[in-house]
Amino acid sequence: MKERITPVKAILIALLVLYLFAMVFPLLYLVSASFMMEADLSAIPAKLFPSSLQFGNYLTAFTRQPIVKYVMNSFITSFISIFICLTTGCLASYSLVRTRIKGKTLFLLFVLAISLLPTITIINPIYRMYSEAKLLNTRIGLSIISAVLDLPMTIWFLTAAFKAIPVSFEESAEIEGAGLFQILLKVYVPLLKGSIFSIGIIDFISAWNKYLLSQVLNPLEKARTVVVGLTLYQLEISIPFEIVSAAAVITIVPLFVIVLLFQKNILGGLLDGGIKE
Amino acid sequence: MARKREIRGYLLLMPAAILICILILIPTVETIYCSFFDYRTQTAALGMKFVGLNNYAKVFGDEFFWDTMWWTIIFTVVTVSLELVIGMLLAILMSKKIPGQGVIRAVVLVPWAMPAIVAGIIWSQIFAYNGFLNNLLSAFPFVTENYAWLGNEGSAKISVMIADIWKNTPYMSLLLLSGLLTINKEYYEAATIDGAGRWRKFWSITVPLIRPTMMVTILFRIISAMRVYDLIVAMTNGGPGGSTTTVSMYAINTYFTYGNIGYGSAMSVVLLLISVVISMFFVDSLKSRVR
Repeated sequence: MKERITPVKAILIALLVLYLFAMVFPLLYLVSASFMMEADLSAIPAKLFPSSLQFGNYLTAFTRQPIVKYVMNSFITSFISIFICLTTGCLASYSLVRTRIKGKTLFLLFVLAISLLPTITIINPIYRMYSEAKLLNTRIGLSIISAVLDLPMTIWFLTAAFKAIPVSFEESAEIEGAGLFQILLKVYVPLLKGSIFSIGIIDFISAWNKYLLSQVLNPLEKARTVVVGLTLYQLEISIPFEIVSAAAVITIVPLFVIVLLFQKNILGGLLDGGIKE
Repeated sequence: MARKREIRGYLLLMPAAILICILILIPTVETIYCSFFDYRTQTAALGMKFVGLNNYAKVFGDEFFWDTMWWTIIFTVVTVSLELVIGMLLAILMSKKIPGQGVIRAVVLVPWAMPAIVAGIIWSQIFAYNGFLNNLLSAFPFVTENYAWLGNEGSAKISVMIADIWKNTPYMSLLLLSGLLTINKEYYEAATIDGAGRWRKFWSITVPLIRPTMMVTILFRIISAMRVYDLIVAMTNGGPGGSTTTVSMYAINTYFTYGNIGYGSAMSVVLLLISVVISMFFVDSLKSRVR
């Protein structure tokens, strides 16, 4: 049976295509602008494509700020952050699903409440705490707080994943004499590696994109992450948008490579674990 | 044995609980505590002076604070409602088996994954005085002058909201889609046999069944819109004339630019209380999520 295309349907399809175009347009414009000359940006009528490819913008982006270092800082911070998040998150989720402790519901509600907290209610005490603990301007400091802020989402996702594994798997391993950590590593981790990977990717993106905390806690160059470094290309008098675009492309390339490679996992993570009753 | 298992359960919960305690709970209490003191970075050596509710009295009398609060609320209401409507339409489309479904789902990840700072930078260029939108409009004969989209109060606010809707609708639609995918198709088939139309099916089947998911999604978006910071910093930095400054931006400036920690803490507590009150309306939906 072939469906006929009615006028209403045609309009809907047109709107959808328009909307999808609007979703990607800013990204495409950014990439295009990063190759433009300054004159292209203010040309009338507006230019969609550079009149000639200006690779020099990237050269300037790489030399004006130590952006490679910022990217490395972002990578290291995000990786430490997801490591903390996944290990503590897995242990907590296992405990919440498989052991008989009291106050599970309370703990889960409490975790949920944390994710509703405005950042400004914690940022100043954390700044002072870090200042005393010498954690300001360190990648580890930023990754710890970043991990804690992503913990609620991780725990919610992983408790749902743990629930889906039959208890019998664990019991048979226990009869064979496996200890707790063996059970976790040899039974659960292999079964849950897809879920753990999905939420890990989502945590990674979330950590990479954290701006406010990074700006406040790591103001110095040595541990500055790339989303903060990016804002330093704007000069006092003018904003050289072609250079800023090149820097912005450098900032998001790692992210979008990950999104492109792992979009199935990300969608799986958002769709399965996002919110479930 | 059972006792041992219980202790083990608490131990496994410990790392997460300790981290949350040190980095979330204690700082929150500390901020509430600081809000009752006259405490400034410049005079930190002299210690903190207890001033009771003075900081709160000052907050309530601070016209600029209420400007930022109203703007934050308007921003939240407008963006979240539009994101809900567009997100719902998109989610329904994404739940259907239509050609190019994979492409649609991949495309909506673009705004979601993009750092808000980068989104803000791109949109500020689009709306800039010599930017993309004005250059595009100049091609029309009836447009004689460039318009400063980000330089006028009303249009700056609208521009910021457009950018936010662009950035956050995908997240909304994906979470709504996760709800839609759990609905049993048979309900729709039965309703079709009973002669129900599209609209009727939407209101009588879809909405009630995804209500819990929808409510939690709305709550999360409301709370994150209430603390909006990155996007607006990158687009207008609070301008023109402070008209797009949000509560978070004002509090951050009070803490770190003016060094008035007591006052900034009082502002943060007011925002926290408002967030708590809003969350109260959603408690039932949250409970259903825990079960």
